[in-house]
Amino acid sequence: MIKKLLYAGAALLAAAQVADAADKKLVISVYGFGQDKFKELLYAPFEQKCGCEIVVETGNSVERLAKLEARKDDPEIDMAVMSHFDALAASRKGITSPIDVSKIPNHAKLYDFAKDPIGGNFAIGYSFYATSIVYRSDKVKVGSWNDLFSKELAGRAAFPNISTTQGPISLYMVGKAIGNDAADLKAPIAKVGENRDSLVTFYERSSQLIQLLQQDEIWAAPVGRFAWSRIAKLGMPIEWATPKEGQTGGMNVMIMTKGAKNADLAYEFMNYWLSTEIQTKLAEALVDSPANSEVKVADNIAMNLTYGADTVKDLHLLAPEVILDNRESWLAEWNSKVAQ
Amino acid sequence: MFTSRAEALALTLPAAVFAAAVFLLPVMILLGEGFQTADGWSFGSYVDFFESPLNRLVFLRTLKLGMLVTVSAAIIGYATAFCIISLKGQARGQMIGLIILPLMISPVARTYAWIIILGRSGFINATLTGLGLSDEPVRFLFTETAVFIGLLQLFLPLMVVSLVSALENMPGDAISAARVLGANWFQVFWKVVLPLTREGLVIGGTLVFTGSLTAYITPAILGGSKVLMLETLLYQRVSVANDFASASVIAMILIVMTFTINLLLKRIATAKSRR
Repeated sequence: MIKKLLYAGAALLAAAQVADAADKKLVISVYGFGQDKFKELLYAPFEQKCGCEIVVETGNSVERLAKLEARKDDPEIDMAVMSHFDALAASRKGITSPIDVSKIPNHAKLYDFAKDPIGGNFAIGYSFYATSIVYRSDKVKVGSWNDLFSKELAGRAAFPNISTTQGPISLYMVGKAIGNDAADLKAPIAKVGENRDSLVTFYERSSQLIQLLQQDEIWAAPVGRFAWSRIAKLGMPIEWATPKEGQTGGMNVMIMTKGAKNADLAYEFMNYWLSTEIQTKLAEALVDSPANSEVKVADNIAMNLTYGADTVKDLHLLAPEVILDNRESWLAEWNSKVAQ
Repeated sequence: MFTSRAEALALTLPAAVFAAAVFLLPVMILLGEGFQTADGWSFGSYVDFFESPLNRLVFLRTLKLGMLVTVSAAIIGYATAFCIISLKGQARGQMIGLIILPLMISPVARTYAWIIILGRSGFINATLTGLGLSDEPVRFLFTETAVFIGLLQLFLPLMVVSLVSALENMPGDAISAARVLGANWFQVFWKVVLPLTREGLVIGGTLVFTGSLTAYITPAILGGSKVLMLETLLYQRVSVANDFASASVIAMILIVMTFTINLLLKRIATAKSRR
């Protein structure tokens, strides 16, 4: 009896595997943000086009990186998107393989800085964003990153936690404002430490920040432009600052897993995602700012995005290797000066 | 009931194997990581953990808040349980129902409610400024006070319910007898009620203390990264620093703290009963 059951089970498993091999399947690993829009504008049309199925895994970057690393020898994920410095970490760990851009015709349409952001063709930029300070224009004026520590904003400003992507780049700009932008970030971390009690909190998610703005708990905080459309929807007198030290930002990239089982399908998908049509649609839905230079959007859309080559040229970005090589020491410095 | 001991053991085997395979083993593997360092097995991760001033601070804060919440819950719990016990019939049932009701609402929703209540323009600050007790709204959110209030509200029902059932089992005339024999109210509580209800207190205390120790959402939302607790620190170590060694050290500390408080409370209970 038991033997028969085992045989039946084995037969079922074998059948399932055969069925899997017959269906074309692409497994991708992406940020959780905006998935309903991605499904509508990107995944569903691609599934129709390729006659395949897209399996989507979401989560924060560290979780997803850990998973990629754990399955290094038998990868289940074919392609993933992440921040440029996480992509660099992945390539150093040997999880990713160089991308053959000849298989991605739309690669040529990208802004130059998005074509090979971490070197060796290990990543392709598909979207980027500016980071600056949002503030209540009816209460305060913000013209510098140093204004976050002004008397008017005492007890009324929040700062991104060191653990977030926004944390280190905001600190970098605070460093510029106080005249010390060394990569060790010691000066700006000390500055935040001095003002620890007058900062309301160190937020970890942009959704948390939006809630604090809505409840009138805070009047100002540094945030990525990707959250702007949700902040604007609050209908409050909130403005995007243009500090005299400039704005910072970041880039999100695509990577190809080493030994990906569906590499050809992944290339097809990347090419589709980078096409002018899809990048325009994602921009119009305010999901991602386009990296494709041929994308044209109306002014009211552009206003909500980080749009155009000139905008990006002016951003003070931290290089991916700087972020990666200093992350641990920043965290230690922050824990000793700010967290306690 | 069973004809032989072997038969009984055989019947428990499937459940035991299941628990060992999907619970005990993974937990052991997880905790084992805390003892693995580059030079083999050692307490290195534990030494490193406690060498950091931040980690010590977080450890002490977690312990302090856990104890504060437990003691406060016991004090409020006894008062509430006495009130409930003094009610008759339907009213008692309704009152217990009201106490249990919050347990049926997700802790996330309950914690979010506190964000609004404790906020600058929330109910408490509106009352304080309205009564002229404070010129400026007081900052409650992202402080230890907020975490304390949130945890107390989250776990108080467990204490009340344990104490109500303990008081219900206490002989009804014990208090009157003590009073007749000349005990004051303090003596009545300390020498009569407390020993007779200690089991309820131990159960309630263990539930509240371990609950406060392991709650994640409340300290994360009401305390944030400015008021790190062991559980929020654990999350940070894993999901930000990818540092599983520290995380397993924290997990071990939490487990040890839970067992210690349980043993301690049990010891107190049995020590008193021997007298």
